[in-house]
Amino acid sequence: MSAVSAAAARQMRTAPVLEVRNVAKAYGAVQALQDVSLELYAGEVLGLVGDNGAGKTTLVKCVAGILRPDAGEIHVNGELQQDLTAEAARRLGIEVVHQNLSLIDTLDVTQNFFLNREIVHRGSVARRMGWMNKRLMYRQARETLDSLGLTLDPQRLAAFLSGGQRQMVAVARAITWGRHIVIMDEPAAALGVRQALQVLAFIRLLSSRGVAVIFISHNMQHVLQVTDRIVVLRHGENVGDLVTAKASAQEIVTLITGSNLSVNGGDASD
Amino acid sequence: MSDNTITTSEAPPADESAVSTGALAAVRRWAVVRIRKSFRELGLFAALAALWVYFGLKSEYFFTTDNIFNILLQASNVAIIAAGLTVVIIAAEIDLSIGALQALAGSVAAVVIIRYEVPVAIGIPIALGCVVLAGAISGFLTWKVKIVSFISTLAMLGIAQGAALLLTNGHSVYGFPESYRKIGTSNVYGVPTPAIIALVVFVALHLLLTRTTFGLKIYATGGNAEAAAFAGIKVGRVKLIALMISGLTAGIGGLIVSSRLDAGNGLFGAGDLLGAVAAVVIGGTSLFGGVGSVVGTAIGVVIITTINNGLVLLAVQDFWQQIVIGCIIIVAMMLDQLVKSARLPGFLR
Repeated sequence: MSAVSAAAARQMRTAPVLEVRNVAKAYGAVQALQDVSLELYAGEVLGLVGDNGAGKTTLVKCVAGILRPDAGEIHVNGELQQDLTAEAARRLGIEVVHQNLSLIDTLDVTQNFFLNREIVHRGSVARRMGWMNKRLMYRQARETLDSLGLTLDPQRLAAFLSGGQRQMVAVARAITWGRHIVIMDEPAAALGVRQALQVLAFIRLLSSRGVAVIFISHNMQHVLQVTDRIVVLRHGENVGDLVTAKASAQEIVTLITGSNLSVNGGDASD
Repeated sequence: MSDNTITTSEAPPADESAVSTGALAAVRRWAVVRIRKSFRELGLFAALAALWVYFGLKSEYFFTTDNIFNILLQASNVAIIAAGLTVVIIAAEIDLSIGALQALAGSVAAVVIIRYEVPVAIGIPIALGCVVLAGAISGFLTWKVKIVSFISTLAMLGIAQGAALLLTNGHSVYGFPESYRKIGTSNVYGVPTPAIIALVVFVALHLLLTRTTFGLKIYATGGNAEAAAFAGIKVGRVKLIALMISGLTAGIGGLIVSSRLDAGNGLFGAGDLLGAVAAVVIGGTSLFGGVGSVVGTAIGVVIITTINNGLVLLAVQDFWQQIVIGCIIIVAMMLDQLVKSARLPGFLR
């Protein structure tokens, strides 16, 4: 991904879309995040890497309003977000593709695609009652999926989708509704090679629209391919913030593991 | 997003129903979707039809208007509380208090209207308000105190039952005014009023569940509460409202019982819980949440009432009824497992 466009975006809009300042979060005695800070600019693709348990998912949940940090601040579009809820984060244009937990099995593709964002009929009474315009919802879901090159029956139950199809529905939802920030937590883990490449293409598409993307992956190749910048977490701390174009896989793996292992050695590459 | 199309070399393998075009294919696709979605209901209708044919052949009286209205009258009470229970179960909770709330609503109405001579038009909202509040308390305990609804509504069962008996001193409070008695005993063109009330409750809840965003939130909450919460749905609040709805339907059921029997009593309607659960389960609503419909429940209620009625007409001893209903629950569950284990032709799945 072009570091140029991100640099341009940084100049155009000096304020970052997302600013995480000194965030800490503990689960009981386990300190999942401590004093983590990072910035994210419009149109930028940020790779968030780290070993299992490094705090990536916890950080994502804090930004998405699912977890409340014990300390620190989260600024979105320059505004401090206190008591950020999942609903508020959505309204701010933040979308997340959660690892494993994206779809509701008992709902169909369209219901999952809209989930808590259903189209209601016009008129104040209909809106007050939440009277859904189902016909329009199914049509829009089909059109959106088609435009993304995904051939899926919008009425199919999520339970009957393959792992890859489920993931693609979740990704389609995020890229459709994420106006400012899209966070993808291991979006390609369940995917085949072709669909994984498709996800990377979607990330570039979002970036070209000026949407900032946080991309979490264990696949170093994907990270180096698609990101502008990489933040490395280890034991809940931000241990590295590198420009992708200048970083090497060796360097990143060293930061992730905290020791100087060879990339080609069996230990480091998983 | 017209210019954003990503042209991947190939789309994922298309499934058959997504690619067919043309009018005939559209009709076929529509039919497949309808059948797939209503498969459970269609099966229930078939079972009900079989029962009707059987009892119709066995007893001349079965298909008389009198008897059909009788079935509707008998069914309406359990039907109403089962409809509210369906909403709670779809949200992956349970309400064990509905029988006791029926008794409480009837007792409150009797005490307020008969003993304190409050006008019927004010007494009814008071009685309904009490049971909706009871549902709200169960829901609040489930939401904020994290007491699972199985326990919170079990506690509410005891509280409501005891309160109803206290209010009535363990006796029946007789002598409702004419206007109140009419709720349960009058009819419109021969159709019993309770059956009409039941119909209204079913239509309202069916529309709520299938047409409104709140209905979808109930299904989402029951289907996967965590994913629903991630999407910004306040699942605790959804469950609270579901329990208030079942409180309201239990209240309506209680008013009908007390009106028909012309008395409030701490035990009237208290035994209806099992019948309601059976109807919901036979109707295909999953106890794990996220799946079900009030249409299924309506058919479940009619099936149970038909069996009760038919066995009476055939002069089978009373006690057999409960055994037969227990067996039917087992058979319904076995059929469900069969459907889930996917021994169906592919196009129905």
